[in-house]
Amino acid sequence: MTNVSSSLSQTREASDSSVGEAQRILEVGTYPVREVSESRATRLRDGRLEIDTEDLKALATTEPPVADVGVSVARPGDSIRLVNVLDAFQPAVKEGASDTTFSGVTGRLSPLGRGRTNCLDGVAVISTCDFRATHDVGQMLTPSRGYSTVDMDGPGRACSHFASTVNVVLDFKCNPAFSFADCDRSIRRASLKIAQRLAEATSDEVSPPSVEELTWGPVDKGLPAVCAIIQVGADEPLCDTFFYGASLRGTLPFLSDPREILDGALNSGFYDFSGGSNPTYFYQRNSLLLSLLRAHGRDLRLAGVILAVVYWPSAFEKSRNALLTAKLAENAGVQGAILTAFSIGNSHNDAMLTCRACETLGIKTVVVISETNGGLTDYVEEADAIVSVGNYEEIVDEWEPEEVIGGMYYDYEYSLPIAQPGPLPLLAYFGSTSQMGDMAMAVRSS
Amino acid sequence: MKVVHYMNQFFAGLGGESAAGHPPTRIDGAVGPGKQLGVPVAVTLTCGDDYFGERETQALAQLLEWIECEEPDVLLCGPAFGSGRYGYACGTLAREASRRGIRSICAMHEENPGVFAADGAAFIVPTGETVAGMREALPKMARLASDLALGMTSPEGTVECLPRRSRQNYFSEKKGADRAIDMLIAKLCGGSYETEVEPPQDRVTPPPPLADLAYEKLALVTEAGVVPSGNPDGLEQCRAKSWHMYSVKGVQSLERGQYQSVHGGFDLTAANNNPNRLVPLDAVRKLQALGRIGEVHDYLYTTTGNCAPTAVAVKFGQEIAQHLQESKVSAVILTGT
Repeated sequence: MTNVSSSLSQTREASDSSVGEAQRILEVGTYPVREVSESRATRLRDGRLEIDTEDLKALATTEPPVADVGVSVARPGDSIRLVNVLDAFQPAVKEGASDTTFSGVTGRLSPLGRGRTNCLDGVAVISTCDFRATHDVGQMLTPSRGYSTVDMDGPGRACSHFASTVNVVLDFKCNPAFSFADCDRSIRRASLKIAQRLAEATSDEVSPPSVEELTWGPVDKGLPAVCAIIQVGADEPLCDTFFYGASLRGTLPFLSDPREILDGALNSGFYDFSGGSNPTYFYQRNSLLLSLLRAHGRDLRLAGVILAVVYWPSAFEKSRNALLTAKLAENAGVQGAILTAFSIGNSHNDAMLTCRACETLGIKTVVVISETNGGLTDYVEEADAIVSVGNYEEIVDEWEPEEVIGGMYYDYEYSLPIAQPGPLPLLAYFGSTSQMGDMAMAVRSS
Repeated sequence: MKVVHYMNQFFAGLGGESAAGHPPTRIDGAVGPGKQLGVPVAVTLTCGDDYFGERETQALAQLLEWIECEEPDVLLCGPAFGSGRYGYACGTLAREASRRGIRSICAMHEENPGVFAADGAAFIVPTGETVAGMREALPKMARLASDLALGMTSPEGTVECLPRRSRQNYFSEKKGADRAIDMLIAKLCGGSYETEVEPPQDRVTPPPPLADLAYEKLALVTEAGVVPSGNPDGLEQCRAKSWHMYSVKGVQSLERGQYQSVHGGFDLTAANNNPNRLVPLDAVRKLQALGRIGEVHDYLYTTTGNCAPTAVAVKFGQEIAQHLQESKVSAVILTGT
């Protein structure tokens, strides 16, 4: 183990010396936003973000599959429920290289995770779309199932992180002449363009109140080497995850620079079981990666982050993916891993098999996962260190907001439109049980 | 002490299986087993087991409205013994009443899916599997009711109850990510840490393999939502409320256009092109023709497993298993998705 990790460090040192000092650092300038209001121009003044909704609409509707988009602001404490939520984004822009922002999706291909990124804090761009209003998606997995909700007030307010941000909500209407896969691609592109446009307002301000330098250089080899293993779903349109603009469907696990992910290289396109999926916003501000980078050189040595696709359809493919993930972690020279599960259902088999494969290779593993009323979907004896992010079946009391944005409610059983959904399980709340650990929710026995 | 007692249509004297669709009903005073409790019952509430299972939301709304109107000291449910549907209704109603601040007691067999349904929110007095356990169960329920009405918060000391296990969400001081890093460092450095999820206890030990299928009766069971085309019984795509059995007597293959899946957990295109890949009837028939399988059961059992709460899944499993047992089935191919 010692030899492997020291040779890995040498490799890293060699590659680090071949690039300039500045390129090894990701600098994140953060501009807090306290208030968002509509105006005739998009600009930022003393924590007040003014948005030109007509300009944002025009930006979105340059995408032909987008027939129309409603732009509104939802603030913490408003009597507003968002439904059919697809994704959330943190406004961000690459300073001095704005054409590389969200590289691969809206920006030209260029390595992310280095240079300077300016972002807005306290504000999120949220996309909603009622695909069923324009498309026959049959029983395809859409955000309508499980509602995909953010309640800005009421008993569900604590369930979603996005009840605490001021949200610029983009309610998309699709053009039925295009496939829903095309519509989805355009919605993601339009949302990211708008997220970038909002962050470009930071150029109005002199300098950000806070700048964090995220470095990832060689450190004391005596510290334990660890990696994060982030599992993601990438199956089919609307149940997909994108890296530098392309779907991860069918890909082998691979090692990535944590700062790439924080810099917007990883995007969600997975809308099923809204509570358990990972919003793009959580990739951009990933608590696990940020904490690991901050602990790098102090408590541990971060060897990288492994992205691994789950929901493999057969036992052989699941076991093979688990093996290859563990082998990659072993090749990276780690002694420990934090494995974050994805969504619910058979993806939790992938999580448990990967935990077993890691432990079998001597890699001590912590699994971050959600649970049901009955416990876990799957379990292996090797999973002796589990962090639970929530019981997703717990029922949240009913709430009747004054305003609903995002389209119709649909029932669970047949995906038919209904007037009132009644009390919702936690799983219906967007990002509530994302298993990367960005929320403080936990579970106790009583 | 004011007691409201819930029981199913059978024990309330409304009829057996033929009355299982009976809607919720309110009766003044004690009925049936309620008369043997030894504590006065103010109101008896009843509902058909099928009605409760199929229209849980409506049934709960009506029953809870009556319960809240009565403001009882204690709600008693059952005893349901080994009856899965009845136990499920008892456990669910007791859970919901408890969460509304009404002390609730159920009585049922420890393997009844109603134990899961109660989710640790209600006290559960364990009983035998059959109605023969009535004489033993009623005094325990009455004793527990008296203790609870007196304000005792954990009367398990005087009356033996099943352990109350409930998993409730709360907000920790630390995000999940930081708890994970702390746990990993402790695990790596030999420090102490506590896993946040205990190993599950409901493991099923597989039976020994069958020696030769040529002497067995095989049934096909699935959670893949496979139904005759058009979904005649309206099986749900998600959170199924029912399971169904369809005759496959003489059917050689689940042909496209004649069978379909309604499962909402995956893209159905490939499955509906050949439903045999969800339920392998074609292969089973070939093996039967070769004499490799002795007999194939005439019915296919099906439900949608997608998002099934554990209590419902346990209840469906027990009900289907009972059918299989009564039909002398000795082998099952259970396909999941």
